Amino acid sequence: MTFTQVVINSIVRASELTLLSLGLTIVYDILRFANFAHTEFAVVAVYLAFFLNVSLGFPIIPAALIASVITGLFAIFIDRAVFKRLRTSSGIIVMVTSLGMAIALRNTVRAIWGATARNYSVPLQKPFVTEFFRITPLQIWIIVVGVFAMLGFHLLLHHTTLGKAMRASSDNPELAQASGIPTEKIITYVWFVAISFASLGGILIGLETYILPYMGFAIIIPVFCATILGGIGNPYGAMLGALVLGFAENFGLYINFGNILSLGGMLGISKELFIPTGYKPAISFVILILVLLLRPRGILGRKKEG
Amino acid sequence: MDLINFLVYLAIMMGIYGILSLSLNLQYGFTGLANFGQVGFFCVGAYVSTIIVLVFKMPFILGLIGGMVMAGFYGYVISIPTAKLKEDYWAIVTLAAAEIVRIFFLNEDWVVGGGPYQGGSFGIGGIPQPLRALFSAYTYPLFYLAIVLVCLASTYLIINTLTESPFGKVIKSIREGDNLPQALGKDVKAFRIKVMAIGGCFGGLAGSLWAHYHGFVSPNQFMPLETFIIWAMVIVGGKANNRGAILGAVIVLVFYNSTRFLKDYIPIEEVTLASLRMVVIGILIVVAMLFMKEGLIKEKKTTY
Repeated sequence: MTFTQVVINSIVRASELTLLSLGLTIVYDILRFANFAHTEFAVVAVYLAFFLNVSLGFPIIPAALIASVITGLFAIFIDRAVFKRLRTSSGIIVMVTSLGMAIALRNTVRAIWGATARNYSVPLQKPFVTEFFRITPLQIWIIVVGVFAMLGFHLLLHHTTLGKAMRASSDNPELAQASGIPTEKIITYVWFVAISFASLGGILIGLETYILPYMGFAIIIPVFCATILGGIGNPYGAMLGALVLGFAENFGLYINFGNILSLGGMLGISKELFIPTGYKPAISFVILILVLLLRPRGILGRKKEG
Repeated sequence: MDLINFLVYLAIMMGIYGILSLSLNLQYGFTGLANFGQVGFFCVGAYVSTIIVLVFKMPFILGLIGGMVMAGFYGYVISIPTAKLKEDYWAIVTLAAAEIVRIFFLNEDWVVGGGPYQGGSFGIGGIPQPLRALFSAYTYPLFYLAIVLVCLASTYLIINTLTESPFGKVIKSIREGDNLPQALGKDVKAFRIKVMAIGGCFGGLAGSLWAHYHGFVSPNQFMPLETFIIWAMVIVGGKANNRGAILGAVIVLVFYNSTRFLKDYIPIEEVTLASLRMVVIGILIVVAMLFMKEGLIKEKKTTY
């Protein structure tokens, strides 16, 4: 695999992670709890899109959009039914509740669609092949959607009333409410935005690989890692964290650590030492631990909490 | 005879999960540490005990102790990076650590030094059962049940003594917020690490008992799902109450195993049934958190 190829794969991965970690971080920012059901909502959308696309014969783009919107609305419903009752509870209580929610969602999907891997029905794509890399149209789409999501979030936060209200609620919820900002209304929008973006991310991952009820759990550790890495509660941190993690996961397997350990051949031990592919999921965990030891508030984290 | 066999099996599982539930209850219920990777201790205990007994040909009791020590050490190590941080971080770190443990035993088959179908994803079979030769096939499970019950009783006594002692008061105050214990000169970080290590030991004990009962361990037995079942036990039974933790284990296991017979009456596939069972476990956690925060047996609150 060439260097350019690894860079492209890293950017694709970063775009997918961005879509998921942005939502996790704004929910944390406004509601003050780590939502362990976040990626499971995305799995619901993945299978809704599968139903629309394969069972009902919709083309994939409308199927993905409709599924993301429906799942966003579904998240609002779950918030009203469950999380709203826990607004005054401590973060740990809400977190454990979200864990129960995650188990229920994942297994509902598994009960309906079974545990086997499935694929969307999309026409075969011809990748662009050059001397240095190959990229599929889908991967270009993933990067485009990721970049648009980042731009969209920036515009939303800084150029809309909703964004201003969101930032105010995050800085000081009591003051925001006293100033007449309707906190509950903002929470509704936050859930919708967070979960529909996560849904798009999940569907794109499903398109690039295959879909499984278990995929939500497979991605939860990288998504949390990206979020914490950048500074939990900070959308720009989530973007940066996703980028760092996307590169780390791909370069982690590409770099010959034997070279580094022997100081580029200076020590005369020219051994090959690669991280085995089976340990790919461990890379994000090792980075997570390093971040927590060295800079627990993340790269862009604010000072005020601990 | 079949029914009796099944009941003995169920009782053994209740004992093993009761220990796991007591251990998680010490960490979450009493200290407020959201350990989402309880299965990691279970896995370390099972594998270390298996390796000691199978590879090093040591007696069962040393395997049991070795499993406990290593699982406790694992708890000590994973709590170092998060000891000063909020619960959110505990949750994700313990969850991730348990996955790494599983991935390690999935990828490294040299740890058992076995033949072509030993270790890695094949699992490890032929784990010797303690004093197996002294009993017949029918009486052995009863003997094993006795071992499990002795372990459960010891775990209960030790954890209960601990939580009723001044140590218990300190960890409960850590759960309620960090300022009071600090004002009293207690090192919050050290207490949290101790709780994870002690809880880890008992998780390891359960793992060792599990491995020698089944005679087989494999990375597939230690999926994150197990952790969530143990969480349901603690939450339903009553957090910060040791009798509640055991009651929770009994209730959840009765539910889990009774649904097994459902497929004899309704035409339903095994995988669908397994999923529906977990849907119920998930909903049980949500409903308990919403309407029954204290669980079935409430925490004993003493006023001074």
